[in-house]
Amino acid sequence: MKMQDVTRRWAAPAAILSLAAMLSLAALPQTAAASATREGSAQINYKILPSIKAQVVPNYQSSFGPTGGLGSGSTPAAGPSAVLGGGTVDFGNVVVGYEYLYKYAAQVSVQTNDASGFVVYGEGATDLNGSNPVPAPSTWPLQQTLFWLVSNAANTAFSPASAFNKTSGTPLGANGSNGINYGAGTPSPASQIWVNPGAGNVSQGYDYELRLSGSIPTSQFNVYIVYTVIGN
Amino acid sequence: MRRNIFALLALGVLAALTVVSQADALQAQKAYKEMTITITVTPSPAPTGGYLPAPPAAPAAAVALAARLLADPLAGPARVAFAGPAWDVAPGGGLQVAQVMVQPSPVPVQFVAKADPNAAYLHIVPHTPSINAGYGKTVFPCAFEIFTFYTNTYSLTDWGYGTLKTGATPYFPIENYPTISYLSWAVPDFSATVTPYNNSGPPGETTWTGAKNQSQQHCIDLTLNVPNSQPAGLYTATVQYNLYVTLP
Repeated sequence: MKMQDVTRRWAAPAAILSLAAMLSLAALPQTAAASATREGSAQINYKILPSIKAQVVPNYQSSFGPTGGLGSGSTPAAGPSAVLGGGTVDFGNVVVGYEYLYKYAAQVSVQTNDASGFVVYGEGATDLNGSNPVPAPSTWPLQQTLFWLVSNAANTAFSPASAFNKTSGTPLGANGSNGINYGAGTPSPASQIWVNPGAGNVSQGYDYELRLSGSIPTSQFNVYIVYTVIGN
Repeated sequence: MRRNIFALLALGVLAALTVVSQADALQAQKAYKEMTITITVTPSPAPTGGYLPAPPAAPAAAVALAARLLADPLAGPARVAFAGPAWDVAPGGGLQVAQVMVQPSPVPVQFVAKADPNAAYLHIVPHTPSINAGYGKTVFPCAFEIFTFYTNTYSLTDWGYGTLKTGATPYFPIENYPTISYLSWAVPDFSATVTPYNNSGPPGETTWTGAKNQSQQHCIDLTLNVPNSQPAGLYTATVQYNLYVTLP
């Protein structure tokens, strides 16, 4: 990794030196044009170091919120912490044993000039933390409870979706409210949610699915989903 | 005489229909739940052999030019390679700093899980809600358990969620009638018989029945058969379980 950085750091100065050398060589034939002509070419390789920016917007589109709960006898509605263009992906009150779909949960936007593209990872900073009342045990596995899928108007609570994984990194802040520290590593390949092959200014929206197995305790649960963008 | 026979037959048919109608009226759907299984079909191994066409031959002119330059690299007029008038990197623009990893603000997610009032009569305990399956047949023992109870006699029925006798869009693996489901079930406590899931919608098939005040919980074994024609990818199978109870 550091060798690549060194190579990149010296790539631009080397290119400038090469360019200067080429220009001076190009000037030589004018003074010696009468004696001989020569041809050749010089290939200059350089690399523009990539730039990547990213934003994540919860509840990114009107009509966001939960649907589903088929058979539960109640109609789901977004909780008070959910606001358009921000806030929390708040499923509100949900009934144990049923499945829900939260439409337009989060939109990931990436701006990059890296022609090799990028990869977006999404994973939970922790398992689900029960808080009100505190259940025993206080956490519930995220991996079989919260799922993601690319937003589509035809999505239902039973559409194919992939589970969010609990990170192997270190949560930053309370329960990962400031993100995840991966140290010298990267997120697990199993947490890839988007692979984009080129440069540009691109966005992708995601719905979330909640599948509450019959044994989850009754409580308020919270988790932070952390998105990490890495250039190729 | 003949008129009397017809009258008696009509009376008998009417009586039979009345009995059936009353029997139907005594049944009510007390609760229902959907059981969703996430299935990841993993790709088949890469083929061991294949045909790779030969690369196209280089143009004769290019070969001749390369040979000439190899023989005398300095021959011919002076030439300078030129890639266009625009600067690829404008002077004075500075170097861009590499941002290898970017992490926007996390998305907070929350929900309040409430108790299910129907759980005393019907609930599902998942054990293997996500399965990885290769091609061919794979058995998943006790993928989940189902609990049933009622204060009167009852029956548990099932069918593939969203399926209908006619007209429903088929989805792998449960598909839709008349295609046979690729996902099958068995209740080993009762029988080793493996049955493809019903995919005709209501009334479906009977999973088991229960006596008055009988609580029971049994494992469901799943058998998934992935045909070679099925692309690798992510799928879900959703089964609707229904508790029909006999009204007092």
